[in-house]
Amino acid sequence: MDDNLTPDAELDCVGLFCPLPIARTKEEIENIEVGQVLKVEADDPAAKEDIARWAKRAGHEVVRLEESGNIITFWIRRKK
Amino acid sequence: MKERMDGIGMSRILYIQTSGLDTPERLYAPFVLGMTARAMDVEASIFFMIKGVTVVKKGEAEKVRIGSFPSLKEVLDQALKAGVKMYICEQSTQLLGIPRGDFIPGAKIAGAGTLNDLALDADSTLSF
Repeated sequence: MDDNLTPDAELDCVGLFCPLPIARTKEEIENIEVGQVLKVEADDPAAKEDIARWAKRAGHEVVRLEESGNIITFWIRRKK
Repeated sequence: MKERMDGIGMSRILYIQTSGLDTPERLYAPFVLGMTARAMDVEASIFFMIKGVTVVKKGEAEKVRIGSFPSLKEVLDQALKAGVKMYICEQSTQLLGIPRGDFIPGAKIAGAGTLNDLALDADSTLSF
């Protein structure tokens, strides 16, 4: 786990429900380069499981996951 | 057996519960089958969606009892105890026009990405 992760892009999915967090994350990750990190914030509780599984399927890496109150924050490294 | 992304070898069954409290006779099967799957060393998951989410609202399974069967809550608890994993499509509440949240403990809130992933990883998927 990388402790000093400065994201190359950020995405606010707060207020969006399934399937929008996945759809928006997919769009945004295509706007960064392979190796760069996208930070995604969401408050849909389904996003925790959904985005983790989406990342694995899509071949990207969740390098960090934080939960604070009802906000779930992902740092996702584009791998391909 | 299919090769899976996580490389774990246990067989997997996914049950999808789309039926709700208005058809109580359809509600027992995923729990009974899930428990039986666990006894057979099979990984079992139940995904509650569409009307199925009404079943896992807190306090509802207690009210369902059919014929000589125990209450649905007893069977649900036995399934959880046996290690059956449960997922709830909370977004289905929007489809039904009922409040979000207030679900049984022991189940995870999940969505479309999770259902697709579970179905792709399962050796068999059964829908009720």
